[in-house]
Amino acid sequence: MALNGDEEDFEWEPPTEAEMKVIQARRERQDKISKLMGDYLLKGYKMLGECCEVCGTILLQDRQQKNYCVSCQELDSDIDKDNPALNPQAALSQVRERQLASQSPAPSHTPELNESPSSSQGNMSVPQPRPEHCEGAAAGGRTPLPPPAVPSPSRLVLQEAEEAVLTKLRWATNQLQSSASLEASIQLCSLITSCANSLRSLKEVSQ
Amino acid sequence: MAAQSSCVASLYTVGVLEAVILRSFGPEGGQVLFTRDTGQAMLSRSGTRILTALQLEHPLARMVVECVWKHSTATGDGSKTFILLLASLLRLIHAAASKEPNVSHSYNSTKAAEAATARHLADKLLAFALKELDELIATGVVPYGGRISWEDFTATAQSPSLANNLCVQKLLRSFFHTRFGYTHCDFISHLACELLSYWKFKNELPSFSLQFVSDNFPALHTPVSGFPVCASRLIDGQVIHRDFATPPLKTDHQPVKAVVLTRSLQPTLLNTGDVLEVGCGGRMMEERSIVHFSAWMERSLQGIIANLQTLGVCVLLSAVKQSAAVLALATQAEMCVVECVSEDELSLFVRLSGTIPIWDCSMIEPEHVVTLTFCRPIQLGGHRYKNTPQRITVKPCSLVICAPGEGQTEQYACALQDAVRMLLRTWEPMHAAVTTTSKRTLQSHKSSSLHTDNLTDRTTYRSSAIQPIHKCVLEPGCVISAGGSFELLLHYALLQHGHSCSVSHDLNIDTSVSQLLANALLSVPQKIYAHSPKGDKSSKDSELDLGLESVSCKYQLLLAVLQCVRSLLKVDTVLPTHIALHTQSSRPASTSWEDTEDEAED
Repeated sequence: MALNGDEEDFEWEPPTEAEMKVIQARRERQDKISKLMGDYLLKGYKMLGECCEVCGTILLQDRQQKNYCVSCQELDSDIDKDNPALNPQAALSQVRERQLASQSPAPSHTPELNESPSSSQGNMSVPQPRPEHCEGAAAGGRTPLPPPAVPSPSRLVLQEAEEAVLTKLRWATNQLQSSASLEASIQLCSLITSCANSLRSLKEVSQ
Repeated sequence: MAAQSSCVASLYTVGVLEAVILRSFGPEGGQVLFTRDTGQAMLSRSGTRILTALQLEHPLARMVVECVWKHSTATGDGSKTFILLLASLLRLIHAAASKEPNVSHSYNSTKAAEAATARHLADKLLAFALKELDELIATGVVPYGGRISWEDFTATAQSPSLANNLCVQKLLRSFFHTRFGYTHCDFISHLACELLSYWKFKNELPSFSLQFVSDNFPALHTPVSGFPVCASRLIDGQVIHRDFATPPLKTDHQPVKAVVLTRSLQPTLLNTGDVLEVGCGGRMMEERSIVHFSAWMERSLQGIIANLQTLGVCVLLSAVKQSAAVLALATQAEMCVVECVSEDELSLFVRLSGTIPIWDCSMIEPEHVVTLTFCRPIQLGGHRYKNTPQRITVKPCSLVICAPGEGQTEQYACALQDAVRMLLRTWEPMHAAVTTTSKRTLQSHKSSSLHTDNLTDRTTYRSSAIQPIHKCVLEPGCVISAGGSFELLLHYALLQHGHSCSVSHDLNIDTSVSQLLANALLSVPQKIYAHSPKGDKSSKDSELDLGLESVSCKYQLLLAVLQCVRSLLKVDTVLPTHIALHTQSSRPASTSWEDTEDEAED
């Protein structure tokens, strides 16, 4: 849809399906950004007269004079929250889910690797200490591994758990090698730490 | 990212403001909790208050909030609807502009073409609204509503055969319902009706008495915190918000005579730095000192007080602080003095009593003396004030507004003032063209020497950009049921108008413009009903619940929104400066519209 100054007779064509989808997605994203910004304004943030250099969204400033771009820092990282690859909380809850599934009498199937765990609320019945707030990647490493609910876990279950954790560890190491972002590297390191802790606990349990 | 066109930038900004007020919009809207660093908290649903409390440095956002504030000062209501309409209009204009850029001129880029189209559309919209909107409203909306007469304050005053039950109280009730919720709206609307019925001037237009109440509202009400809202009431007489400086009158001699002083009785002959030469002026005396000088001053003061006594004056209302000598002499002469009375109250007092304040203390004539029915101290909350009515045709009464905290009293007072403004807008006769630009005289109540003949001076409000309307189409007092009916009816009227235009002659411009406006109007009822989950309520119930709203206020709102859209789209570039151009917190009434535009324009 390039329009130069020379083209006098520009024929407007209705946007195609794909373009419509893009427009729709953009509009939804804009609505989300507006809503988030509105919430921040009500919390006392200041709306600045400048725009973010990366995405063009209006910048906000908090009480500590720190600038904040809603779309860069919140929206884009929002979808990564549930991705077990980047968030150790999600990884942990996935491991727990798999444990639960294998312990139940009904035939359990291994959950998909990129199945996003709905939230930790699903594990309410299992008495485990769990961090209530996502304090960030570093906290994930400090989470104590939940003790297994079943009094005598079978060898098979432990082996499966160990395998899963090792796979995750392997994957995380690969990711770490190729990672360029500081945030992601920190998160991957903590994932590796928690995987190592999980392996240690599994070994203790098996003995 | 300076490449963002003004249309897109305004759209984003107004979208954010819309997100801020959306949750408070509508009859089911929530309240915003304001907290200060001092720990004071307040709940409010008023759109103006929410928007002005936001910290905004973005110039377009500030421009919009400025527009909202001005509109709210004029009509008293509609700030959230303003933002909603603004947002939907900008969205539709942006969509229309990106579809068919105006290709008759050559532009450097699509953005410039879109911006030009958007600007053009905004101009057309405003022109259309100024020309045809009032007729459309008169034919398409008003027949479905009703007309309130100024005499019908409460439902009981009307004949029971009237099915619609239209009265001023109902209109006020729905107004206060949007501000306070169900709890107190009945009580406050009843109180407001009482106040207005007291201040009804006979043989005058309703807009006159409403203007009077609106101008003098600060002097007509007393906020008292620490009591429940139901303790608010009307009291006879005007309340002067100062206590007696001297012991009050011991006996109630009726009637009481009073004078108004604008200067100190004791003239300040000596200022700091002056040198007083104490001499004899030709006569040889042994001693002349400062003691003699002050004795001489006291004697002249005694003369003035004696003069006042012969006129029978018992009360001195002073705008300034009187010296200790004056107070002592007045106490001796059994007169009571009230000092430092505020300008508003003094001017109201003077206006109501028709007296002239004393300027030159040596010349006190009987016409400076006013007779009062009573003058007594009154204890309201933690403060003691003076209560004094005058002997005139209209019995003055003052409103005492009680609320648990100071913030709440301020809220109630503001809401009442806004309600009066809303009623003023409803009953203002929208007259034909005026030859001179008659601007609203905001300072009319400040002048201290208003005589009774000045009471006939009518003040009319005109937005500086509205062209004169040639016929009185919208009758005063038109109301319609609230809850989006105005918008829906106008939507259909505009669509019909568009159809008839396209059928009669091919003015596609008018059609597209009226269509755009019609679609934009739909956003308001959409948002109202998006909130309320009750779908099973019968229509009869919901009509009774939602109440009434004023048609002329809605009309003013539409015009204000269209003007704001045009101003926003006129902005080409936003230039950042490193000097603060004007302070953020002050919103003086005299800020002209051009100032903010100059800041933001190219």
